[in-house]
Amino acid sequence: MVSASLPHPATRGAPGMATGRAGRLVRLVAATTVSLACAAGAFAQAAQHDHGKGGGKPARPELGTSAAFAPDGALVAVSKDGQHVVLHRSPDAGATWEAPVVVNATPETISADGENRPKLAFAPDGAVLVSWTHPLAKPYTGAIRLARADDGRGFAVPITVHRDRSEITHRFDSLLVTRSGQVLVTWIDKRDLEAEKAAGRGDYRGAAIYAAVSQDGGRSFRPEVKVADHSCECCRIALAEDADGAPLVLWRHVFEPNERDHALATLGTDGTPRGVERATFDRWRVDGCPHHGPSLAVAADGTRHAVWFNERDGEGRVFYGRLAAGAVEGQRTVGGERAAHADVAIAGPDVAIVWKEFDGERTRLHAEVSADGGATFARVVLAATAGASDQPRVIRRGEKLFAFWRTENEGMKGYPLP
Amino acid sequence: MKPKTLIATVFLAWSAIAGAADGFAALDRAAAARLADPASHGAPTVVALWSLDCVHCKKNLKLFAELGKLDARVRLVTVAVQSEEAGLAEPLDRLGVPGQRFAYGADAPEALAFALDAKWRGELPRTLLFDGRGGKATLSGVVSEADARRALGLAAR
Repeated sequence: MVSASLPHPATRGAPGMATGRAGRLVRLVAATTVSLACAAGAFAQAAQHDHGKGGGKPARPELGTSAAFAPDGALVAVSKDGQHVVLHRSPDAGATWEAPVVVNATPETISADGENRPKLAFAPDGAVLVSWTHPLAKPYTGAIRLARADDGRGFAVPITVHRDRSEITHRFDSLLVTRSGQVLVTWIDKRDLEAEKAAGRGDYRGAAIYAAVSQDGGRSFRPEVKVADHSCECCRIALAEDADGAPLVLWRHVFEPNERDHALATLGTDGTPRGVERATFDRWRVDGCPHHGPSLAVAADGTRHAVWFNERDGEGRVFYGRLAAGAVEGQRTVGGERAAHADVAIAGPDVAIVWKEFDGERTRLHAEVSADGGATFARVVLAATAGASDQPRVIRRGEKLFAFWRTENEGMKGYPLP
Repeated sequence: MKPKTLIATVFLAWSAIAGAADGFAALDRAAAARLADPASHGAPTVVALWSLDCVHCKKNLKLFAELGKLDARVRLVTVAVQSEEAGLAEPLDRLGVPGQRFAYGADAPEALAFALDAKWRGELPRTLLFDGRGGKATLSGVVSEADARRALGLAAR
């Protein structure tokens, strides 16, 4: 790991260092040589501290954190600390935090960036479920892991959710517990891509979405099923419960030939999709990954409120809209040109959207709150930070909505929404 | 030699030497702004933004390395839009990618991204192409050789 910041040679060439052009050049080159020598030393020293593939610590903490209110009213969050997922509890909605609890006693590599962070949910019996992606040695590979704590603190040994144990992509987990107690885990999976490659066909678009369902509160999972071929490779998957209790999955898809719009599937009780439909129609054609997944929340009347990022007419923007059959109703932009990573949630008639937006100096946490089912929204700025930050989340606190945001400088903070 | 040209020359000389080393320079806001400034580039230059997680970046990095082999004027600078970690150099080494290597330093990632490219929204790969005469193009996704040559001011093949 290298933490030394190297002075740029152009900086060393600032006016005033030399009198003549030739002299300036000589001094610049000399200064550059010195900086390179220092740099080489720094790199050599740093290399001794590397701990092998996947074990090296990044220069800054990975901030990816999920949060939810427990049945007892505590605010609970899961994040990464080295090779452990850790669970934090706050009795006062984020004002203070108790000492964290280790989820996986045996250390393993863990993904914890904004798109691919540990998740948590509560089973009907009050147990805490935590899922995460465990990266394997080969690039882009991983396993989806899940651990359960009956009492919310003492976690059982984690299980791998899927039967396929190939060293391939199983990453970007999402977790949902439905009102009926069904536990659903979805993820991005490349077994179909690998099979196509092995058969000599290399034109498989993107990856695939797979799902596994547990009917025993996350203690075991039924064999995984494919939800859809041709998903985007590196955007978070949104899960929500439909008005009738069926799980809904919203993800960034790769429509032919390379349109990275979103698709929506309704799942049956074993995770098998009842149908897959196109959900957004922005038609962003790019052979690349936006690293910018959607969010979905369903009202009691079945209205599907969604936020997502896409490039439309050459401009990359965050959008809000209500997903309907074959169309988006009320699509509009959210925030300004640099609005990013929006999240949406619903509590009764309240709908809230949160996002973050960099203004050139600071990153601000914004919210739009509606008390009339999304007919009208009021906008509010909740916080700002000068440093790095996770994606913001909006979560339910009983019948109210609550914003949660972890920043490198300020830590994990909660913001009650009006 | 004009000051800007001088700075660009030293920058490029330093880039070439630094590229021989295996390490990454920590990118700060000032360095990001310089990389984004056409005046910093007195020769056709590719500034390739990539990350370990980016499955599409390899295609671009391979193309840019090949362009550099075919035309000695072409300079390549890579910016890993993440902190340095173990194994970060591996894809670059495996693909034989030359040139100066940056990784995100201590400044906020949003600030670095903004300084590199205010229009960039985080999608990868993202590429800044300079023709060395003040021209600049920014492209998202996998870049074709024809588009890269056009943006760099090179003759089509």
